Amino acid sequence: MEKKTLVIIPAYNEENNIKIVIDSLSEMYPEIDYIVINDCSNDRTKEVLQQMHANYIDLPLNLGIGGGVQTGYIYAYENQYDVAVQIDGDGQHDITYLKDVIAPILNDTADCVIGSRYINNEGFQSSFMRRVGINFLSRLIKICTGISVKDVTSGFRAVNRTWIQNFALDYAQDYPEPEAIITEACRGARILEVPVKMNARLSGESSISGMKTVYYMIKVSLAIILQRISLRKEIR
Amino acid sequence: MPIILRILLYLAILFYFVWMYKLFKKQKLNLQYSLMWIFSGIILLVLVTFIKDFEKVLHFLGIAEGMNGLFAIAIFLILLMLMIITSIVSQMNNRHKTLIQKCALLEKRVRELENQMKGEQNNANDNSVPD
Repeated sequence: MEKKTLVIIPAYNEENNIKIVIDSLSEMYPEIDYIVINDCSNDRTKEVLQQMHANYIDLPLNLGIGGGVQTGYIYAYENQYDVAVQIDGDGQHDITYLKDVIAPILNDTADCVIGSRYINNEGFQSSFMRRVGINFLSRLIKICTGISVKDVTSGFRAVNRTWIQNFALDYAQDYPEPEAIITEACRGARILEVPVKMNARLSGESSISGMKTVYYMIKVSLAIILQRISLRKEIR
Repeated sequence: MPIILRILLYLAILFYFVWMYKLFKKQKLNLQYSLMWIFSGIILLVLVTFIKDFEKVLHFLGIAEGMNGLFAIAIFLILLMLMIITSIVSQMNNRHKTLIQKCALLEKRVRELENQMKGEQNNANDNSVPD
């Protein structure tokens, strides 16, 4: 039986980027469905989606990236998708690599796949300070779970049906990417990192900058440790 | 403890209970949450009433003044309540999130059904017009 794949695209104030992302997606992968989650943007994102008759969910209040992506997982679960892929709505993720990210799920060699910038070190590598932060979180996750993931903040990832269900029920809020890895690792998921290329943002601003970076680092580190403690008993 | 201070404390506790009763009557306070407030009010009442015996215990613990003991206990109770309130807010946040998600998913279904109905109506209209 053919496996149904859904691409989840969270979008917050992406009026300039979202059309490009959707157009290139439906051009390259016409057989794959997608869903855009408009996280109560206060620019024209919704109008753009309406005009192009895109498949979208419009959140009535802003939930942040975690709640937005989770809505996508709930949609994927309710509509019986077998594979869900997350990509950012800002065009950072080069979707030529989409098939590479899905492949291990389709072959059933992994439960969760993470598209990583730091395997082949190609494309946009992010600023030096960010790489230091990502490296730190990566080491922390390695210490806490023994699993080595290099690009822990990558939002380019795919999961199978089991994890669609898990994430539909429970998904970290705020800045969920590193926390999701911990949850996956602690519940014995097979995690695989595949090389992808990312671009610099097409336009608009990153959600994490300035003082938020400090808050982000502290919050995520704490979340990783707390999650590790609360999920201890489930480790295989 | 000076008698005036004691009367003042009793008045404060009385005010506390009256205010709580008013909120409760106006249904602005759920029973499950009002229990913790009643409980801490009673603790304060007991402490003020039996401050003499209480002071002996405090001296034993190294706290010289009865008032200081009251402060310490009141602050502890406040911290405890703040923690309970944070937990309530977190739970509400979670429920709120689920509600928003359900609402958005339903909105999408309504939108799709409306489009579908419009399409059917247009088709019906097209068919009813003779060539």
